[in-house]
Order: sequence, then C-alpha cells, then structure tokens
Amino acid sequence: MNVTLAVKQYISKMIESSGPGMKVLLMDKETTSIVSMVYTQSEILQKEVYLFERIDSQNRDNMKHLKAICFLRPTKENVENLIQELRRPKYSVYFIYFSNVISKSEVKALAEADEQEVVAEVQEFYGDFIAVNPHLFSLNLQGVARGRSWEPTVLPRVTQGLTSVLLSLKKCPMIRYQLSSDMAKRLAESVKQIITKEYELFDFRKTEVPPLLLILDRSDDAITPLLNQWTYQAMVHELLCLNNNRIDLSRVPGINKDLKEVVLSAENDEFYANNLYLNFGEIGTNIKNLMEDFQKKRPKGQQKLESITDMKAFVDNYPQFKKMSGTVSKHVTVVGELSRLVSERQLMEVSEVEQELACQNDHSNAQQNVRRLLQNPRVSELDAVRLVMLYALRYERHSSSILSSLMEELNRRGVSEKYRKIVQAMIDYGGKRVRGSDLITPTDAVAITKQFFKGLKGVENVYTQHQPLLHDTLDQLIKGRLKDSQFPYLGPSSLRDRPQDIIVFIIGGATYEEALTVYNLNRTMPGVRIVLGGTTIHNTKRQLAEVQTEHQNGGRKGI
Amino acid sequence: MASGYPPPFEGSAEVKEGFLCPLCLKDLQSFYQLQDHYEEEHSGDNRHVGGQIKSLVQKAIKAKDKLLKRDGDERTETSYESFYYGGVDPYMWEPQELGATRSHLDLFKKHRAARIDHYVIEVNKRIIRLEKLTSFDRTNMDAGKIRALEKSVVPWVSDQDVPFCPDCGGKFNIRNRRHHCRLCGSIMCRKCMEFVPLPLAYKLTSSTREALCVPGSPGKGGSPGAGGPVVQQLPRRGSISSLSSVSSVLEEKDEDRIRCCSHCMDALLRHQHKLEEKDHVPDIVKLYERLRMCMEKVDERAPEYIRMAESLNAGETTYNLETAGGLRLEVQKYYEHIDALSKKILTLGLKDEVQPHPKTLQLQRMVRYSATLFVQEKLLGLMSLPTKEKYEELKEKRREEQEKRIQQERQAALEAQKRRSEMEKNRPILSANGDAPRLAQGPRMTKAGGWLPSSDAVHSRSRELDDPLLQQINNIESFLRQARAANRTDEIAMLEENLRQLQDEFDAQQTSRAIELSQRLAEEESLQQSQLQYLEQRELESKLHTRERSLDFGEEKNVEEHGVTGSNSREDLNVSPVLSPLLKTQSIKSFPRLPGNSPPLQRDERTPTPPAGETLNSSTSASLNPFDEDATPIEEDPTNPFSEEIQKEHGQASSRKNKEYNPFEDKEDQEREGKESGPRNPFEDDVDNDDKGNPFKETSNQTPAASTNPFDEDDDGPAVDDIIEEELLLQQIDNIRAYIFDAKLSGRTDEVELLSQNLRELQSTLQEQKRKTH
Repeated sequence: MNVTLAVKQYISKMIESSGPGMKVLLMDKETTSIVSMVYTQSEILQKEVYLFERIDSQNRDNMKHLKAICFLRPTKENVENLIQELRRPKYSVYFIYFSNVISKSEVKALAEADEQEVVAEVQEFYGDFIAVNPHLFSLNLQGVARGRSWEPTVLPRVTQGLTSVLLSLKKCPMIRYQLSSDMAKRLAESVKQIITKEYELFDFRKTEVPPLLLILDRSDDAITPLLNQWTYQAMVHELLCLNNNRIDLSRVPGINKDLKEVVLSAENDEFYANNLYLNFGEIGTNIKNLMEDFQKKRPKGQQKLESITDMKAFVDNYPQFKKMSGTVSKHVTVVGELSRLVSERQLMEVSEVEQELACQNDHSNAQQNVRRLLQNPRVSELDAVRLVMLYALRYERHSSSILSSLMEELNRRGVSEKYRKIVQAMIDYGGKRVRGSDLITPTDAVAITKQFFKGLKGVENVYTQHQPLLHDTLDQLIKGRLKDSQFPYLGPSSLRDRPQDIIVFIIGGATYEEALTVYNLNRTMPGVRIVLGGTTIHNTKRQLAEVQTEHQNGGRKGI
Repeated sequence: MASGYPPPFEGSAEVKEGFLCPLCLKDLQSFYQLQDHYEEEHSGDNRHVGGQIKSLVQKAIKAKDKLLKRDGDERTETSYESFYYGGVDPYMWEPQELGATRSHLDLFKKHRAARIDHYVIEVNKRIIRLEKLTSFDRTNMDAGKIRALEKSVVPWVSDQDVPFCPDCGGKFNIRNRRHHCRLCGSIMCRKCMEFVPLPLAYKLTSSTREALCVPGSPGKGGSPGAGGPVVQQLPRRGSISSLSSVSSVLEEKDEDRIRCCSHCMDALLRHQHKLEEKDHVPDIVKLYERLRMCMEKVDERAPEYIRMAESLNAGETTYNLETAGGLRLEVQKYYEHIDALSKKILTLGLKDEVQPHPKTLQLQRMVRYSATLFVQEKLLGLMSLPTKEKYEELKEKRREEQEKRIQQERQAALEAQKRRSEMEKNRPILSANGDAPRLAQGPRMTKAGGWLPSSDAVHSRSRELDDPLLQQINNIESFLRQARAANRTDEIAMLEENLRQLQDEFDAQQTSRAIELSQRLAEEESLQQSQLQYLEQRELESKLHTRERSLDFGEEKNVEEHGVTGSNSREDLNVSPVLSPLLKTQSIKSFPRLPGNSPPLQRDERTPTPPAGETLNSSTSASLNPFDEDATPIEEDPTNPFSEEIQKEHGQASSRKNKEYNPFEDKEDQEREGKESGPRNPFEDDVDNDDKGNPFKETSNQTPAASTNPFDEDDDGPAVDDIIEEELLLQQIDNIRAYIFDAKLSGRTDEVELLSQNLRELQSTLQEQKRKTH
C-alpha cells in the first residue's frame, strides 16, 4: 500500500525491460508530472534515460540510436500523436506503455501505423495518478464539480485515476460512499462499473478481509482546508503552494536565482523526509542543527589551506559539501520565507482564532476575536475572509450570529467583492444543509463526553488542536462503527470484519492535514493500512478557487 | 496486498533494531543522536562500558560507511526493489510487488503482421522490378530497345486513361507530357516524376538480393555488403531534384537513372534509409558503449578495492597494501577513461559546419552529466589507502584496541565473578569442589589466557601455539611473508585467502568452545542448586577454611570463563542491536569479520610485520595485572601512573606507542572526525589530526628526532617517507584536477580559483619533495 513505490516500480520496470543503451522517455503533460513526482533527473539518468520529450513536441530530431520508452495516458490525442510518430519513427525502437485501459480498436490503429516494425512492446501500466507521499495521491484536477454534480468530462478521468490506483496496488475493493453526496455515489458506481467490465484485470488473490474503498465529499468538511497549518509540508503548501512537489519562490524578496524554484521531495531529500510532519517549532530547531552541522563540514572558509592535511580534508569532503550546501540553502530559504510570512501576516494570532473557531464552542469569545482581528490592519485580506468563512460555517445557525456585521466589516476593510462573494459560496458549498455528518456538534453521547473531557484537559498546542473530520470517520471505520446509514455499501455484500486495507478518496480534494492524520493512523493502528487520495491537494487558495468555480458553473438549485 | 503479509509488529515481542542505546534500549534515530544520547544520559556510568559503546559506535561508523557506499552501488543497478525511503512511514515498507499490468503486444502484432505483409510485398515488387531494369547495359543500348525492355517489366498504363496528372491534377497536353513510372507503370507529369540514380538502384538491389531470401521482411536481410559507406554519400532526395532540373535540358536522356513516380520513390527511399541505419553506427554510440564498459568495470572493481582499503585502514592484515594500491590505480584509470570519453561525447559534432540538432547536443550534455555524477559518486566512496608507515601504526592501534576490549570484557567478567563469588560464599565447598578439576584447562580454554597474572606473555604465547590451527596459521603467515618478499602476487592472494579461512575457522572454534563451556557451567550451577540444602548444613563448619579457597581457585577459573563467554556473548549482544540493520544490507563477505573482533587480536599480535620488540613490549604492558585495572584503567588517561611506568620501562622507544595506548581519545578523535567527514575513512583523518597536535607523532613522522627512535628506524627511514609523501601528493593533485574540471564545468569560478591555488601549492610541494629525494 505504497503509491509512490507502485509508480516507481512501474517506471523502473519500463526502463529495465528496454535493455541497455541510450534511451529517451516520451511522455505527455500528465505523465510528465507523474514521473517527476517519483524520480529525480539524476536518479533516472543512472538508468540510461538521457532525454525527456513530450509526444506532442514538434522539436524532436531523428535519433535512431535511441530507444524510446513511451509512457502515455490513453487519450485520443496521444494515440493520434503516437500514430504519427510511428509512421515516421524518430527512434530505433518503441516501448509503449499506457497508463490506463486502452481500447482494442486503438491498439489496432497503432499496429497499422507501425509499418516499419519499430514497436517492441505495448502494455498497460496503471500509473495514472500523482503519488505525493507513500500514502497520499492526487489527480491534479480542479473544478471537478458543476453545482452539486460532476463536471461531465471529469468523472471519467477521476474514475480512471481511482481504478489505476486500485490496479497498481492490486486491490479489488468493496466500495462505500458518503450517502449525502450524489457525486460520491456516482463515482462509486462508475468505479464499480469498471471493475465489473475489466473483471479479468481485477482478479487478484483474495485476501481474508477484502480491501475497502471509501469515497467522501469535500463539502462534508469544508473547514479543514480553510485552516492555517503548522507542520512542514502542510505549511509549505498553505503559504507557498506545492505544485508537484515544487514551490515557486520567485516572489520571495532578495531570492538567489538558483532558488527561484525548488523541489521538496521526501524521496531524495533526507531532511525534508524527516521533517515532513514536524511542526514549525521543531523544524526551527532542526534547521539550526543542520546549519551547525554544515558549518562544521564546510571547508575552513575561503582562507588558504595551510597544509597538505588541510587540503586533503578539503578534497575528501568536497563533493559531500556540495551536496549538503544545496540542501541547507534550500531549507534555510524555505523556512526563512515561512517565518517571514508568519510574522508579516500575524499568522500565529490568526491561527489561534481559527483553531478556536474550529474546535471550541464559545460563540461570544469567538465573535469578539474575529472582530478584533478583522480590525487589525496587518491581517491579510485572505486571512480575514478565511476567518469570516470559518465563523460562517461554524455559527451558521447560531441564534445571535453576527455574520452580517462581519460582512460589513470586510466591506469596510476594502476586501474585494470577489472574496466577499466566496463567503456565501462557501456556506452553500459546505454549510449545514449539505453536510451529511456532524462536522461541528457531535450528537451521540460518546462523542459528547469525549469533547467534554477534551475541554477539561485543555489542549497541548493551541495551533494544532484541530482534528479533521476524516480522523473520526476513519476511526469509526476501523473500529467497525461507521454507520451504514450514512456510508452505505455499493452492492448487496458488506464487510463483516474490521477493514485492514483502506483507500479513502475525497472528491474535491484532500489536504496535507488529512495526510498527516492518515500517516498517524497508519503508525498507531497495527494491521491497518490507509491510503488517502483526492482530486487535488488543497490549500485555502485552491479550496476557494474550487468553491468559486463550482458556484459560478452551476449556481445552486433552490437558492 | 495479500493475506500472506505478516502483521507489521506483534505486540510486546517486537524486535527492536536501529540505533539502540545499549544501556537503556532507547531507540534513537541516527548514530549522532545515539552518541549525543549516550553522552547526556550515560556519561556518568561505568567507564569501561563507555569504552565499549565507543568501540561499537566506531563499528557503526564503519558499517554506515559501507552502507552508504553500498547504497550508491545499488542505485546504479537496475534493481527496482531497492529504493531510498527517506523518513517514510515504516509501516509502508512492506514488500510490494509490481502493480497489475496488461500486455497488448499479441493483439498489436497480429494487426501489424497483416499490415506489414502488404507493405513488404509492395516494396519487394518494386525492388525486383528495379533489379530487372538495371540488369542490362543501359548506356550502350538504343532508346527504343530500352523502352521495350522497360515495358516488359511492368505493363504501362495506357495514355488515354489518364487525362490529368493524378498527383498535381495538371492537364496533360503537348507541353505537359505524360511520363510512365518504370516501377509501377502509372502516369505522372514531369514535375511529379522522380528519378532513381543508377548507383542507388544498384545499392538497393544488391542489398535485397540477400534479403529476398527471407521473403516477407526486406529489412531483415542483413548488411548491404560492399555498397555501404561509398553509396551513402550519394544523392538523396535533394540532389535528385537538382539532377532532374539539369536533366530537363537534356530531355529524355535516361542513361544513368530510372524514371519513377514519387510514390515508388518514397517507398524506395524509406527502404534505403532503413538499410543505412541498420548498418550505420553513429560515433556517439561507439563512444557511449566504451563509456558504459568502463562504468561496468568500475562497478566491478571499486567494491573490491573498497573492501581492501577498509580492511587495510582498519589495520587488518587480510590484504596486501601493494595489491590494493595497484587496484586503486586501475580504478582511477577507469575514471580517467570515463572522464575522457564523456568529454569526447560532449564535444561531438561541435566543430562541424552544420551544428547538430539542439536535442543531439542535449543528449550529449546529459550523457556527460551522468558520467560526471557517476564519477563523483563513486570517487567519493573511493577512500585512500594508508601509507606504509601509517599502515603499521594502524595495525598497531587495532591490536591495542582489541587488547583493550578484551581486558574490558575481562573486567566486566571479573565483576560479575566477584558478585558471584560473594553469592557463593554461602555454598563455598561446592564451588571449590566443582571447579577444581577444570582448573587445569584454564590457560588453553582461551586465547587470551596469556594475560592472566599467573602466566607471563612468552609462556602463554608458546602455549597458544599448541593449538594445531594456530600453528597452521603461523606457518601460513611465514609463507606469506616469504611470498611477499619474493613479490609473487598470485600466491599472496591465495595465501591470504587461506589465512582468512583458517582464522575464521579458529574463531569459530573458539566460539563453540566458549559456548560449550558456558553450557557446562550452567549445568553445574543447576547441580549446585540441587545440592544447596545439603551444603547449608555444612556451611558453618567449613566457612573459614573455604573462603580462602574459593578466592584462590574459583575466581581465577571464573575469570577465564567469563572472559570467553563474556567476550562472545557480550559482543553478540551489543554489536547486533546497533549493527544488525546495517549489516543486513552488507555483503556477506564483510559480515563475518565484524562480530568476531576479539579473535583478530591474536592474529595481529603474531603478525610478523611489526618488529619483535614492539610485540613484546605491547604484550608485556598489556599483561599488567588486569585486576588492578578496574581501579585505575590505564587506557583512559595518558598521564595515568601506569602508562608513565611503561614509558619509563621502555624508554623513549615506546613513547609513541604510549600515546596510542589511549584508545579512548583516539576513538573520540575518530568520532569527531567521522562527524566532520561523514563516510570518509575515519582513521586517516584521525592520523592527520594527530599530526598537528600530537608531539609523539610528529617526531616519528618527519623531524630528525624520529631517527633516534629505534622502531621508526626499522621500517621507515626518511627516504621512504618522502616517496610516500610523493605518492600522496600525486594522488591529491589528481583529485584536485578532477574537482577543478567539475567546478569549471558548472561555472563556479570562485571554487576554481581556490582549487587551482591549492593545485599550485601542491605542485610546488611536490617539486620540493622531488628535489629532496634526488
């Protein structure tokens, strides 16, 4: 149940079966992202792959001494491009791998184009998703919904992505979905249809407890993506926006030109891998240690190296030093920028109120704090809107809700209309009316007592007290307590035992906070393996964009 | 994921591994954390346990070094099972098979075969006709006869049927005349006509003459023989059209070419391309193949070298310094080849008038880049060898470390024994009874027997040799010495192998003996327990008398037993938790060497290389009464009375060695160094470091005072010293050059400057050295 490894294995297998010799990797836009998430250039260079080309690129030369490995999504355009390519082959031999199921007629069309017999392999390798972390995948799709239903072109892509995850992990799951979401139901049915149609593909060894696919809808928990984050990966994404593990630092004041875009990948950056889930304070300490380590290793200044011994030591350490200096400067820059943003936007204060809104139940206190922060000129526009949205979602139905006066406050601050409109859109998206489960106020006795005790104990860290709804959902699922009435099974059969292998998919995008939750569950629950996926990986900006497009596209029935 | 997976862990029976603290079993993430943890938590604990940790830690460094290098190796292998996981959730680590796949190749081939047949038949038809058309002498034949012949090859389409050119749609008339394709008989206008020049026709037909033997696959016929390189220069499409423009003047003169339509021409040209490519190997491919060969050689040789260098740097005597040096040179030569070849690839075609396609250049850059990466990564793992002199020191040091460890172990055993004997005071008679008969075995039970206070060093050594295995080892060692003197490398290698096997065998024997002993001991203990009641009755009577005896005999004997069992079990216990995860990934060959660290001590002691005096000195000093040691451990402090005593005893001669008697400091140095230099060999840095601070070293290394040192005079005179320095310098110069190149390549000018400055200095130092020697 490691999605990163799954994709990596597919790609190594492709490269391996093409034998020795210089190779070119021929990809499309999406597969380029898929590959770049799991392999670095230097890593793949060692496998004799020297060129990376887009199948739709016109600027390619004849290089008959290269072998071409084509990794493509089975789209119409790709097949068409490939047919053209095979008619006039530029490389000596072609190993063709499609990332998903391809139709027989398309295979035939390709075969007929291969008059020069350059194709040596045609296979389906189901790496049709972006592996972000070993237990987290994304499909990099935004604007998946139109109103409350699927954007028609997107549903097939999501189905393909999700089935490819299942195939790459060799799982043929039972499916549960969130009843309150029509989209979840549609997707579940669509996935089931593929499984039935391609039953030969899904014929894996039966496990004692069948794996489970749980399909959720983001609108059930619209709060989580709105919170400021304090663990490294999530924070980087929230403040700097991770895009296929890359962050754009070009807007950072005084940035070195080498660091305009940096790659943060747990696969080959040890520091990042070790600090992915640590909070900001811990990272500060670790980066200090990293610096100190580096200072020790660094050759003694630019001063002259006195003796042969000095020189020898310098030469011995030189390559290592180079490597380390890259890591150090990268993380120092990133953490530096994070802390600059934190202090500039007063995120500590903002986050405290956010967490209070999300987790506590004290209306008067909350409204005071929100009002106070709205009047603080240093709080950014985005954060102000975020606070109002959180308030709106939280105290939507509260008898003395001050939402309208908060909206006026936003107006007074000069917050653009676009943003102000999103507040209403957000309520439409994730308000009480659409929620299937109890995001905010627990209803059953156990949960109430739990919350009561939590309140008594106080919280360890005010900035990280929020637990995403997903935690409860998964916890109940693992314990076999998830209600069939809210999350029904698709089809007649249901799971009698507690599930072991769980794949959760959130329509509308997952968050890194949820990824952390899943990571912790994986660690603490013996025998349970969970993989989380989403149509995208959200941060607040993306969530707002998503809500906005959905709002614009579909409007809402009944408003 | 199948049901077959074991649960990730099983309750309390969880097996811990990783960097565990040997004292509190706390799991620490890395070696450094372990070290820090140890310094914080346990610095107050017993000192000699500390020594053990440090030696473990040192092993961990070495193991880590190996691991890191091995990691690098693995990455270049195409195995897709081994990946670097970073700090990824360990519960995701379970083995995972390749995801589902589905092949469409059969279907694809089926459809393709049908298509190819058609295509191939078409091409073959044309080639056969071409052959017929070229089979007669065109120049000396009149046009009408040629035309008749041409018409016999393929029926011409009648003129009336084609009023317009099928390609361009132009109407045929007097000015725009009809032309027949000689290959398919169709009609085209002149503009749409092409010509097959005779040389091309000959070439095509000559190659297919063989190809036709394999019908259905024109391309698979193999090489086009003599046509090859000459014909390749001949005109293709571009020059053909220029030809035809010239020919428009000499209308209808088809002496040296064959008229054909553009479709036929296209098919022929494609066919020709294919033939050409089949045979033509571009320069880049040739160079690249050689490059890969060199890389493979490095992959093959470098691990071998690293194994040797590690062993040598650890002061072991398994390998020969010269052989390792030779191997190093060989590997370095391959690096140079790789560098040169990749540079050649990088500059391919740059001087041509027509610049290569940007993608070609990109390819060349990438090949070069990956070669640079390869060299960097591998060179990093290529630790340098100790110089002869250092090697001697290392051997010395290693031996002493091991003595120390054994002593520590014995101390620990002694304490345990003390505790035990106190316990046994309650049942003294029995212990006296039970132990007395085995007392005689004492000295032979353990190799370390010689260091008991009861027997002196020389005595014990001769007794050790009673063991036939040891004698054999000794013999082989002397053979080895002779072989080395005679410079017979192949024999040396064989003997070394032999010696290693013997030593392993000896180690195993010792271990099994120790196990046996401990078992017997356990049996006895149970016997004692059963007799306890009986004993208690007699306790009062014999108390006074027996206490003395138990101290005299029992203790001595138990020291023995604990020394052996303790040393083995302790090592197994302590080494394995720290090293086991590291060792797992190591080659099997290096594995058995690590845990068995105490036996090589013996080996070293008997090695012929160090002068006899030294050996004697060390063993006598080591044989200082171990009982005193737990009070004042000599190894901890160079100023402690014992080492001073030794110093006095052996005079100036052993002063250098005394310094080395201080393994704790050395180890600390190494650790510090290890921290700074990461996976580099800690020993060398250590020695270098000592050079600055340690007055003893300096005297022995360079200053004239060294010559007053009798030991140094033996094996390293100033001349030898210089030669070694020279070698070292040359090595460094090589390295620095490589870095300069790298830095230049990536445009880091400041570094280039710094490096070239270093280079200059090194070179001047080298000159000086040379002047001195001549």
